[in-house]
This record gives sequence, structure tokens and C-alpha cells, in this order.
Amino acid sequence: MKVRLLHTADVSPGHVRSAFSGLAPPLVPGESLPHRGSFASFYDRARAQYDAFGVLETVPAPEPGWLNLLLLGADLFVPALTYVFGLSHLAGGRGILSVSRLKPPEENELSERVLVHRLRVEVAHELGHAAGLVHCAVNDCAMHRSLWPESVDLKNPEFCASCRARLPEAP
Amino acid sequence: MSAPVKLMIVDDEPHLRSSLTFWFREEGYDVLSAGGGREALATLVREAPQILLVDIKMPGMDGLEVLRKVRETSPETTVIIMTAYASVETAIQALKDGAYDYIVKPFDPEAVSRLVKKAAERYTLLSENRELKARIAAAEPALITAGGGPMAHVLELVDQVAPTDTSVLVTGESGTGKELVAKLIHSRSPRRFGPLSVVNCGALSEGVLESELFGHEKGAFTGAAARRRGKVEVAHEGTLFLDEIGDVPPKVQVDLLRVLQEKQVTRVGGNQPIPVDFRLVTATHRDLEDEVAAGRFRQDFFFRIHVFVIELPPLRDRQADIPVLAQHFLGRFATAMNRRIGGFAPAALAAMTDYPWPGNVRELQNAIERAVVLCKGDTIEASHFPFSGPAPTAASLTLASAEEAHIRKILSTMGFNIAQAARALEIDRVTLYNKMRKFGIDRP
Ligand SMILES: [Zn+2]
Ligand SMILES: [Zn+2]
Repeated sequence: MKVRLLHTADVSPGHVRSAFSGLAPPLVPGESLPHRGSFASFYDRARAQYDAFGVLETVPAPEPGWLNLLLLGADLFVPALTYVFGLSHLAGGRGILSVSRLKPPEENELSERVLVHRLRVEVAHELGHAAGLVHCAVNDCAMHRSLWPESVDLKNPEFCASCRARLPEAP
Repeated sequence: MSAPVKLMIVDDEPHLRSSLTFWFREEGYDVLSAGGGREALATLVREAPQILLVDIKMPGMDGLEVLRKVRETSPETTVIIMTAYASVETAIQALKDGAYDYIVKPFDPEAVSRLVKKAAERYTLLSENRELKARIAAAEPALITAGGGPMAHVLELVDQVAPTDTSVLVTGESGTGKELVAKLIHSRSPRRFGPLSVVNCGALSEGVLESELFGHEKGAFTGAAARRRGKVEVAHEGTLFLDEIGDVPPKVQVDLLRVLQEKQVTRVGGNQPIPVDFRLVTATHRDLEDEVAAGRFRQDFFFRIHVFVIELPPLRDRQADIPVLAQHFLGRFATAMNRRIGGFAPAALAAMTDYPWPGNVRELQNAIERAVVLCKGDTIEASHFPFSGPAPTAASLTLASAEEAHIRKILSTMGFNIAQAARALEIDRVTLYNKMRKFGIDRP
């Protein structure tokens, strides 16, 4: 499946490139573009976060064989939950992912490497949902549920054999 | 896949219903929703969901009333109450009336996931467990071997120790596959459904290693902008694998020893000990007994981790495995690079078996990757390997002989064009002539 990465201005070009170059098979890089949709109206002043459902609706539905993922810097919530890393239309071909919670809280020689790893894992994760995958019991599979950013570190930016078998190959 | 657990969200707020529906669908639940008590009870009869998440405050029939009706008509159904801070007291009443638990809005994703998962485990069918096991078995790392030989013994040890909670120390030269063995132990242990938390303790400064292992609280040091959970905490209910344990500084050894003894961890800058339950696997390429004797490794810590030792043989001691491993890597790289390469020429196989592989399996893997890049035909030849001919003898290991061999190689690659060869070697032509005279290299 081909991947179109949309991104907002607060995501560094380097991170967009890292996400793109780290795509796991059967996902293949398609194109990366600045996001045109505006989601300012989905800002919740009281929570100082954006409503993930509203933001998700600004991502256009992709053509067959493609997946659309929006990378953004803003922190996200859904009404019932304190935060989410991302949100996807299950099997709907589109999703969003926030970089803000993936950033390690401290600066040291590991921080950048950790962030890029988390980014790649969660990009695979949201794209997996968008392609129809649900959570997986294999603990280092990208589709394993991560409740904490620190548990993203234990996963691979790849799909396990069972998840991979459920995904269509790139055309 | 077997039938997933059915879950119903009962809340009068449509936005909340849809967000929870999304969240739980990703978990693999079959999710229904209802906008009020009456609708919920009707759906309950029709669809028989096993778990209900019910908001306590709804117009018309409130959550408590829904709970009582469900308890009467369908006592095997689990009811979880959702509440705002203001109505926690009513939620406690709900527990008395038979609710499974209650949860305060807005939920921490982690808390709600755990709670519902715990409730769902009561309904998870045997067949679903079988699917989980099959998935995990399919993901088990493969230890490639021709069978028999020293690796057979290693696999025997892995199978012996994996089902227990015993600490394991994996030793062996760099590149022998110590991490693979740690993964294998985890995936064959009862903890395989839990996390495998890995820390490479080499090459990290002391402060960073502490933070990696134990985590820190917000503001624990300059730059600690938020709380961070360490790899020890994240290993809860799983396996903690500490690679290059021989490189851990003594101060961190003391802290790790305390964690192992007390089975709890305190984040740096924190004062709240957090109980942790993990199985410890460590690995090192160093001789820890030497390290203890030299005073670099604490004896008490050594005894704690040196319980069950698995020693990985170097590749040169498992020659029978070399062709099998080589074929495995060839298949992998050829597929990845979209090349049709069937196998190895006899001379290439001989060269591989003769070579001592100081970098072990990792070096073999790199050599095959490089050979696949260089190979133009459908067979890997001996010339595609950086080492050719017999293994170096002691005499050929000197710096001078390496220099001579390198100069000969560059000269022949450049067709004895002195100017080009000198540029490639980054020396001037006069120096190159002098070296050729010294080593007795003549132009053909
Ligand atoms: Zn998986
Ligand atoms: Zn997910």
C-alpha cells in the first residue's frame, strides 16, 4: 500500500523524512505534502488540546491502494480520554498522529534516536489501523497497544508475521 | 479469528459514544452503543454484549437503574460505571449494587484499557487464547542452525530455563546472537504475553543509563521536563533484558541490586517505590569473573545475575552451521534487494568455512549482504568476499603484511595506475613508490 504523509508546519522536515524512510513493508512511500486542511476550530481552550475527531475529518479519504496519514505537532484528545497519540478510521484509509507525546521529556544523547524510533513505530501503527488492523498480542509488533510513550520503545517499526499476512501488498 | 468480546457504551453524549467506540474497536472488541437506558436494555436482549460501560448521569433512566435491571435480567453481564468527579459517591453505591468497577471521566487511556481488558478476560474463549499463542509462536525469533553441534546444547538450555523465573546470564563473543537467545527465552516463557524490555547498557553515560533504567520524575534534574518511566518499570509482568551488563558502572550496579532484592523501583527524583515483577536476563561479551577480580564488577551483583549461564559458542566452533546461516542470509538479502541469486560456488563455501569469523554471525551477515551487492550473476563467488584464500596465519597478521596486501589490492584494482592508486590510498606518489620497493611489488 502506498503512503501519503501530510504534515503541519510544526513537524520538522527531518522527522517527516525519517517517518517516510522507515516505512515497513508492505507499506511503501508515495508522497509527502504539507497539510492543506485547517483544524483551528477543533482547539479546546479548557484542555489546551485539539479534538482528534475534528482533526481526523480534515484528512481527505485516499484513492484505492493508498493510505493518508497526517503528522502534526499539536497534542490530541478524544472526549472520553485525557489524550491519544493518534486516531484512525479503522480500515478507512486515513489517520492522524501527534508527535508531541512521543518526544522524550529530557535532552540527552538518546533523545533524538528515541523520538525517531517512536515516530516510525506509531506511523506504522496508525497506518495499520487505517488499513484495517486491530491491536496485536505480539509485544514487539507495531500493532501492539502502547499505553505509554515509553512502551513504544519496546516495539519494532514493523508488522509481525500475522499482521503482515492481513495487509494487502503494494500494487 | 474467534468471536471478539462484545462491548456496549451507554451514554447520552454522542461524541463520547463515538470516541469510545473508536478506541475499543482498535482493541479488537465488537462495539455497540446506546444513547440511553431504555435503548441499552433493548440492545442487551437482542445483541447480548458481555460488557457494558454505562454513564451514571443520563436523562430518563439513569446508570444506577440500568445497572439494577441488568443485574436482574442478565447477571452474567459485566457493568462498568462511568462517572464525573462530582458523582463518585453514587459510583460507590453502584459498586454495592453489583457494578464491576467505576471509572472517572475523562479517563486515562491506560486505566480504561486495563480495566476493560481485565473484565474481558472473563469471557475470552479458549479459541482466542489459541490464536494469541499462535501469533506469538509465529513471531518467535529463529535461531538458525544445521542441528546438532554446540547450538543444540544451547537450545536445550533455553528450553530448560525458559519456563522458570530464574535469572539467566548469556555470555559469548560479540555478534554470537546473545540478544536472540534472550528473545527466545522470553517468547518461550509464561511471561511471553508481557513486555520484553531491552536496555543496551554499553555506550551510555552513567546519568543517561540511570534514567533509562529507573526513569525520573518531572524536574528530577535540569531538562527533565516530564515524568519518564524507566525500562525496569516498563518490564512489569515481562522480561528485563540488560545487554552488555559488564559495562554497567558500579554505582548503577548497586541500584540494580537493590531493585532485584526489593522488587520495586523508585524513579530518579521520586520517593514513591513502584512494585515491579520481571524476569531478568543479562548478557555480556566480557569475562565477568575477571571483571570482579579486577574490582570493576561488584561480587554481590555478580552472584545475583550469575545463576543460570548460557554460553554461546563462537561461529568458528560451529562450522556446520555456516552454510545454513549463509543460505538464510542470502535468501533474506536477495529478496530485499530484488535479486535472483541461488547459492554459493564451492570455492565461496570453502572460503566461508575456512575463515575464522572474529565478528561471528553478525560479520557473516554483513559479508553476505556485501556479496549480494557485488554479485552480478546468480552465484556468490569467493571473490565477492573481502577475505579470500586461507585464514591468515600469525605471520600474516602483522600490520606490515596488512599494509602490503592492501596496497597490492588497490594497485590491481586500479590497473597499476600509480596516480590513481596513490589518490585512493591518500598518500603521494613518491611514498607509494617507496612502499612498493619495500614490499617488492613490481608493475606487471
Ligand atoms: Zn502483529
Ligand atoms: Zn492502536
